[in-house]
Amino acid sequence: MKSLVIIPAYNEENSIEAVLHSVKEWHPGIDIVVVNDGSKDETGRVARAAGLAHVIDLPVNLGIGGAVQTGYLFAYRNGYDIAIQIDADGQHDPADLDKIIQVVANGEAACCVGSRFVEETDYTPSLLRGIGINFFSWMIRWTIGKRITDPTSGFRAVNRDCIEVFANYYPDDYPEVEAVVLLERMGFSVKEASVQMHSRAAGKSSITPFKSMYYMLKVSLAVIMTRIRNVS
Amino acid sequence: MNIYVLSIVFSLLFLGFVIEMIRRRQISERYSLLWLILGLIMLIISFFPKLLNSLASAMGIIYGTSLLFFISSLFSLVSILHLTTVITKLDRKTTRLTQELALLKSQGEEARDDRSADRPL
Repeated sequence: MKSLVIIPAYNEENSIEAVLHSVKEWHPGIDIVVVNDGSKDETGRVARAAGLAHVIDLPVNLGIGGAVQTGYLFAYRNGYDIAIQIDADGQHDPADLDKIIQVVANGEAACCVGSRFVEETDYTPSLLRGIGINFFSWMIRWTIGKRITDPTSGFRAVNRDCIEVFANYYPDDYPEVEAVVLLERMGFSVKEASVQMHSRAAGKSSITPFKSMYYMLKVSLAVIMTRIRNVS
Repeated sequence: MNIYVLSIVFSLLFLGFVIEMIRRRQISERYSLLWLILGLIMLIISFFPKLLNSLASAMGIIYGTSLLFFISSLFSLVSILHLTTVITKLDRKTTRLTQELALLKSQGEEARDDRSADRPL
């Protein structure tokens, strides 16, 4: 099975190299593509200098959705069977890569989301974040009737069919929740596997208090629309 | 100059302005039709202001100007909504173009690196 790790990166020059090394440490054979989303810092140069990954520089900033989709386009056109998304900030532990890849590789599910809440882990979300995660979890249960404990997790693996779906359409911003609902609506099964998550190694979270209101509204609307839209 | 003449002059200026923009290709014909029609309606109402009043009373509206305001705000809303759909489409297209360009560039780079790696020093 040809697998590709997709790492969208925006201004992550301080953490990208460590992430690349740690992925290669756990999976020496796996291919990596870094999608540098028009970073203003040296992310692209640092990633290239590491010599461990394909680096795609977007000439302008597209936002997380457009960047991730570029990775899926790359995966689709280069014939990869499995694509795995990992954040560039060091939050996701590549030690768990195998766990989520296996679920997809042995056909248990079309998409496997790395979850912080399936089993007890070291991670405890802040109060607001916890409320947000629970809200989206409830919303997914309400729209597709399935329990997804960590719908905002960006640590996930998908099979070739899902790669094709995402190459054609991927939500533009805060895409994680909508992507899960879209896949389930199209008849692909989504499962979770327990993973560890660290607090970020460097950089800042893109979510400010001001943006979180937009986040909630936009994602809720997108989920409802995906539910009532004819997707197949 | 009374309001009668003023509105005719304004309508003519508006139409002339739109036509000049089309001539200079600052608006494409496709999007200009809406504005040309609006200019024509403005011109007709300026020439025959009674038209507005009779239309208003036929609709049960007492003041002709109320109808004018109603129509103009409706027109603005519809055109803004239309523009939003245009922006959405454009946004999707630039995203895809950006992605294709970035993929092509990285492909070209890697092909070049491979070639120079193959060449003996």
